[in-house]
Amino acid sequence: MIVENTQTQMRKGILEYCILSIIAKGETYASDIIAELKKAQLLVVEGTLYPLLTRLKNNGLLTYNWVESISGPPRKYYVLSDEGRAVLEQLDKTWQELVFAVQTAIGDRK
Amino acid sequence: MNKTIIININGMVFHIEEDAYEVLKNYMTDVKRHFSTSADSLEITTDIENRIAEMFNEILARDAKQVIVETDVKEVIGQMGSVQDFETAETDAKSGGGSPFEYNTERRRLFRDPDDHLISGVCAGIANYFDINPAWVRLAFAILVPFAAMGLVIYTILWMVVPKAITRADRMAMKGEKQDLKGFKKNFEEELSTVRENLQNFKHEAKPFIYQVRDLISDIFEHLAAFLRGTGSLLGKLLATAVLLACLGMMIALIVSLIALFAAGNMGIYNLFPFNITNHQANGIFMASGFLVLSIPLLAIILSTIGFLFKKASFNRSIGTTLLCIWLASLGAVSYYGVKTAAGFREGGKFTQTVKLKPTANNTYYLQLNDTKYLSNEDSTRLKINERFKGMIILDDDFNGDDMPNRNVTIDIEKSDVPQPVLIETFSARGSNLEEALINARSAAYRFEQKDSVLNFDRHLEMPKGFLWRGQELHLTLKVPLNAKIIIDQKLDRNINFNIYECKSDGDGITTATYIMTASGLECKVDPIKAAKFKADSLKALKQEQDTLPASPADTAKAQ
Repeated sequence: MIVENTQTQMRKGILEYCILSIIAKGETYASDIIAELKKAQLLVVEGTLYPLLTRLKNNGLLTYNWVESISGPPRKYYVLSDEGRAVLEQLDKTWQELVFAVQTAIGDRK
Repeated sequence: MNKTIIININGMVFHIEEDAYEVLKNYMTDVKRHFSTSADSLEITTDIENRIAEMFNEILARDAKQVIVETDVKEVIGQMGSVQDFETAETDAKSGGGSPFEYNTERRRLFRDPDDHLISGVCAGIANYFDINPAWVRLAFAILVPFAAMGLVIYTILWMVVPKAITRADRMAMKGEKQDLKGFKKNFEEELSTVRENLQNFKHEAKPFIYQVRDLISDIFEHLAAFLRGTGSLLGKLLATAVLLACLGMMIALIVSLIALFAAGNMGIYNLFPFNITNHQANGIFMASGFLVLSIPLLAIILSTIGFLFKKASFNRSIGTTLLCIWLASLGAVSYYGVKTAAGFREGGKFTQTVKLKPTANNTYYLQLNDTKYLSNEDSTRLKINERFKGMIILDDDFNGDDMPNRNVTIDIEKSDVPQPVLIETFSARGSNLEEALINARSAAYRFEQKDSVLNFDRHLEMPKGFLWRGQELHLTLKVPLNAKIIIDQKLDRNINFNIYECKSDGDGITTATYIMTASGLECKVDPIKAAKFKADSLKALKQEQDTLPASPADTAKAQ
């Protein structure tokens, strides 16, 4: 139980960082994000992604464009805003530090 | 063979089997309910719906079919995730405080504070909730004690219902501290602090007071429900049912009386106290907001009791906030009109005028009630007096609901030093200032007439249309010379400032009381002729009755 809890927390901690990183690669559709996150085993179901995207958008980190689609209703393609880009840079730095911190911590163990 | 339904998801049309539709509908209802507390609920659910529509299209294309069946819907739901999945994801996020953009939203919880208590820590707990000094809360409770021991009652209930903060987590929740893995997050947070300042909405700290009050109330109800469940659900349910029935009864009574008041409004409640003290328009607002002030707490109690009885949340936060806002607004309206009306009674105004009376030959004055009804020109036209009651006199009924509250015309009789009898009329009224008070006093109409030795008095003041009741009163002082004989009609009993029945000789025959003005004041004088006549009459009547009693069968025969 404790293990699971820590695992989910660790994943959640980096979830938004990962979403921002995926979107940073270019205009992205929600199901593409899902596909990548599923591959990375960070998200299991699509439904949880939409509230996260909405919140990031409302915080000004994302914007989206409507793109017509052949297979259904128009799709929202997300892009990073300037602010989002700045936040992502900060998070990159933080991530490097975390990686360093964790590696230092595990390094002794080996 | 299955029945299919055509559905429309944000502009896309699908054929779907009936049972598949049921599954989809239930799922969407759950999803909508789950996100209903979020500000972005519409956007999120639309996104989800659009994605579902797209997945349906993909399935239809993949399988080269036209109708969506139950397994398709289940597949889509599996991909999208059930509401339980959303919930686990979110509770993890909350208790873990993991997501960097979602902290500090943990709301405070109400607990009794065991570290800072005078009696049981209720006040300190409430103070922690609002992040204020407990002294203020204690003071508020102390102030409420003299009002029907309200402070005491509320305090006792809270003491029983609100749990004590025992664990460290309880205490942190009580003080609004975040519960998370501090060590892990601290560095991360510091790194982000510059960014956060722009992004983070410190929901709790910036929360308007009204939300805090709403959360506090819902917290109390939660504790109450937990308390009732703990003490034995049967007892709780019995109590809840009783409360529910009582509240429903009160609600019905309220609604009935509101309807009655509005229905009666056309017929003239505005002449009745207390509706005659404000103008008609304000009265409508006043009554409506009064109704809301009383009914909203009732409604809240009813809904939460129902929620408790059937273990279902009966109203969510946005409804709660709306109700609280409406309640506060109506409370404001009630107090505003209350204060405004009270201000209309602030100053008193008074003026007198003297009416000279013609002295009568035998120094005798008959005081009588003028019971002709006072009719304005409008009234006469409305009632078609000239057509329907030509040559008749409309009498003023004893009490027809048009009376002002209290007696507003009083009569005193005093000795005059000069032979000239006079009537001093003193009009008084209240208003927001002296001028208004005097105008109000002046507005009251009163008729007094003298016909030889007969003095006719009106029963009450008449208010012209458009003037509000502002305590208009008339005090009449009749000054008559020494040895004047005053004969007062019994109908004036309510207006005369002393008890005329003490002077009136008993029996139905006499309807007047007779006084003589002496040097030391008014003295009662029983009319010897009338008294004697009455005595003789009553004796005669008695005798006749005795005589006719044996012969009654003959009488009845004759009558037939």
